[in-house]
Amino acid sequence: MSSDCLLTAATFSVLLCALLTAAFDLVELRTRRDSRIASQRSKPEQKADALLNEWLSPEQRATLESYGHFEVRGSHTGKCYRIRRGRSMNIDEVSKEGDLGPVWCFGPIAQLPLGDVMLAQKLALETDEQATLAVANRSRRALLSTHLDFRRS
Amino acid sequence: MAVQIVMDPTGDTRHEFTTGDATAVAKAERRFKQLTGAGFTAAVRTAEGHSKRIRDFDPAAEETIFFPRLQGG
Repeated sequence: MSSDCLLTAATFSVLLCALLTAAFDLVELRTRRDSRIASQRSKPEQKADALLNEWLSPEQRATLESYGHFEVRGSHTGKCYRIRRGRSMNIDEVSKEGDLGPVWCFGPIAQLPLGDVMLAQKLALETDEQATLAVANRSRRALLSTHLDFRRS
Repeated sequence: MAVQIVMDPTGDTRHEFTTGDATAVAKAERRFKQLTGAGFTAAVRTAEGHSKRIRDFDPAAEETIFFPRLQGG
């Protein structure tokens, strides 16, 4: 009986080792694949990020680094817009009180890396806000946010 | 040395030219007209983090950036 138990325990250990090895191999394969994909697409993204950083102020760079967004002033109204990391629906209008208003959506027609998209959005608002918003789509904030804003006010 | 930076799928393409070289400046002006004619917007930096749109070629601009036409998302 005890020898059967030992055999079962040994079999279980072998099976466990095999499973763990297979799992580690799988993780390593996925890591290699992910890093290969990342390196393939990283050059344009890295260039675009570098360009974006070149054209941001130190304060904008800091908030992008810390919070994933930066703020710009519209050239005509002086309104504040918060540009979040993203390609679409990523621009919030910010009131003087700091509340988030409507969400604006626009971007370059060409397929560009993310950093370029965000830089184009910044430049567009800073240099020709009226023409930019004329082509942009405007959306109300998500229902939950609207509800919370309503309850707060 | 001045530079024209054009956003594209590779990140950007940079065209450098010497401002004292009349031929290079003329080439840069032609590029400016081609790009803006194709719908690109040209902007120059006015201060760190600030920029302004330019509609005509500025041979004195050290850095001009071009981004493609915009569309609503």
